[in-house]
Amino acid sequence: MGVSDLIIAALILAGTVYILYRSLWKKKGHCGGCDGGSCDKK
Amino acid sequence: MSTQLKVKENAVGEEAKASGKAALRPVEARVITVAVAGNPNSGKSTLINAIAGSRLHVGNWAGVTVEKKEAELEFGGRKIRLVDLPGTYSLSPYTQEEIVARDYLVHERPDLIINVVDATNLERNLYLTVQIQELGIPMVMALNIYDEAEAKGYRIDVEGIEKMLGITVIPTSATKKSGLDDLLRSVLKTADDLAGHAPKKLNYGEDIEGAADFVAQALRKSHPALLERYPQRWLLLKLMEQDSHVMKELDLGRYDFLDQALQHLKKAHGEDIESIMADARYSLASGLTREILQKPELRQMELTEKIDRVVLNRFLGIPIFLAAMWLLFKLTFDLSAPFGEWIGAMTEGPFKRWAAAILGTIGAPDWTVSLVNDGVIAGVGFVLVFVPVIFAMMFFITFLEGSGYMARAAFVMDRTMHSIGLHGKSFIPMLLGFGCNVPGIYATRTLENPKDKVLTALLVPLMSCGARLPVYVLFVGAFFPNNSGTVIWSLYIMGIFLAVMMGLVFKKTLFRGEAPMFIMELPPYRMPSFSSLCLHTWEKGKHFLFKAGTYIFAVSILVWFMLNLPWGVEQKRDSYLGKAGAVIAPIFEPVGFGTWEAASSLITGVIAKEIVVGTMGEIYAPKHEEKEDAPTLGEDLKEIVVSFGTAAKTAVTTLLYIPGEAEEEEDQSALKQAIMAGFTPLSSYAFMAFVLLYMPCMIVGVAMRQEFGTWKWMAVGFVYQTVLAWTVALIIYQGGTFLGLGG
Repeated sequence: MGVSDLIIAALILAGTVYILYRSLWKKKGHCGGCDGGSCDKK
Repeated sequence: MSTQLKVKENAVGEEAKASGKAALRPVEARVITVAVAGNPNSGKSTLINAIAGSRLHVGNWAGVTVEKKEAELEFGGRKIRLVDLPGTYSLSPYTQEEIVARDYLVHERPDLIINVVDATNLERNLYLTVQIQELGIPMVMALNIYDEAEAKGYRIDVEGIEKMLGITVIPTSATKKSGLDDLLRSVLKTADDLAGHAPKKLNYGEDIEGAADFVAQALRKSHPALLERYPQRWLLLKLMEQDSHVMKELDLGRYDFLDQALQHLKKAHGEDIESIMADARYSLASGLTREILQKPELRQMELTEKIDRVVLNRFLGIPIFLAAMWLLFKLTFDLSAPFGEWIGAMTEGPFKRWAAAILGTIGAPDWTVSLVNDGVIAGVGFVLVFVPVIFAMMFFITFLEGSGYMARAAFVMDRTMHSIGLHGKSFIPMLLGFGCNVPGIYATRTLENPKDKVLTALLVPLMSCGARLPVYVLFVGAFFPNNSGTVIWSLYIMGIFLAVMMGLVFKKTLFRGEAPMFIMELPPYRMPSFSSLCLHTWEKGKHFLFKAGTYIFAVSILVWFMLNLPWGVEQKRDSYLGKAGAVIAPIFEPVGFGTWEAASSLITGVIAKEIVVGTMGEIYAPKHEEKEDAPTLGEDLKEIVVSFGTAAKTAVTTLLYIPGEAEEEEDQSALKQAIMAGFTPLSSYAFMAFVLLYMPCMIVGVAMRQEFGTWKWMAVGFVYQTVLAWTVALIIYQGGTFLGLGG
């Protein structure tokens, strides 16, 4: 596994962690699919 | 009987003008804010959807709108912002809906209110109207469900209501979209002259009015600022009622003038002040109804009553509910299974070939081909296979909600739950949990008692949400192909049964106390429109597509790395994920699935339950091999179209039970074959039960934290559910083995 592979892998992992952070943690319990539903916060 | 308080001047005489101060603002150049208020199930959300085309969640049962929601539209060159308030029967401070609705009306002062009134249920709806009038905010009444009232032979004197209340009344039918333009025209007309459209001050009788004047006069001297801050008449009546919410907000304490007024009323009526006020409002609502409504003398038993006689029958109610659920699953699988197989075939074949070809063309490293094919496509693809099942089930659940049957199901369960000391209203959030547990958690706000809220939130995750469905479908497809609907139905019933049992346990231990009575509204049966069904099916189902595109996608990549690290690992069992799974696998030995593959899937499934399937897809994914005789792009596209047609034909023939068309060929995917090698029918059922019951997904956990402001209840839920899941799986597996079902 060369340096370029390591860089690509690191970028992919960073992107993955960012998606998880945005979709799971940042929204704090807001379910993305029910924008108009009863799970909206005030 | 009446007595007279000494009042020197009429302090409340200019109520309408005073309360309409907001009304004096210019409206042409700004957005007109219109609050939409009404009883639960009077059709507020449907009305807003019909007017603005927004997609608010609508169901034919009370309590769907928990919080206020907004929609904006343009009409006649003007911008209107509609605010959908939670449905309430009154503006008293007892439930979350009432507090949200009245806080908005009192503190945010919309320009005007559309009061949605169910024309088939006038008296009860007018009780709220009377209270809204107290706010002095200009109002337009949407006399909704007017078509049904006419069909019942009701004759409503619309002009009579207008004269008596001093408001504009427009007959509407939100479902048929009739009267909506007239309603909006009236809104604009009222908005252009708010001061001229202040509602009439209703007279509650000499005693109450006298006392109100007396309090107003005293208040003007002692707290003049208060009369500016709040709608004057509303404030006076609330002070006289000793409304706990208002008293706390104002921090007024006790005042002689208030005591004097209350003593006077008590002496005159011999009742507590709350009853006196409620009586006065009911009398007005009832009197108004008598004046303006003529019902046919002899009415034949309506269809709703005929159906309810059977559906709500003491002995037949629960069996009918169980049968309805069974039918729901049967239809779901008959309709959706062929489409799921079609997506599976696409992800297994053409998608992987195309991904490899594209990555090869751009010169990507070999391992990225494996990452995309064995990670992303295997992980996300195996979840997407179940999208048709999820959408089909959401469609049928939406149908049951929209038709009014789900309210009956809650009513039937209410009786059962109440008989063992539980709050019957708790079943509504639990039913919502069938779609997704998260809205179920938030729906606990409709409960009044804080203990009941927490208790219900702890039970909601036992309801089998759509995310568990992919796991069930995968396993029943492998082990119970001929009874798939029945097996999955049994898991849903198991969830309800255990929720009732755990509720009983919690009620006797952590949450002792009496279960309060509650009145459940049973709306008439209605045939939901197809477009509305599709819209709300999409609203419920898109959640799963969103998840597939975000964290299931992300977790699939992480799982691939964990299955391929340390770099160059030969056997997946020796990877980080394999080792982690192997560490906890012995825990699952007694329950029949003590393999590292099953344990690893359960670890990742904590993020979202569908990921159990996605992870299995990656673990069991065969090594990607280049085939020499791979079909061309044209052949692939042709195959996709042809196989879709075959799937549609199979769905229709299965649904219509057309014999001779069913194909018996066993076309098992690699994943199914691997699962059949690692599980037995009994251990697969124990595994499905474990997935149903073990700790809820992370989003539910965070929702509980949001709702109750502490991690404590989330931790309690995670621990008790995991212990319960293991225990139930143990009973199933060991019990089944003891009975000789372990083969």
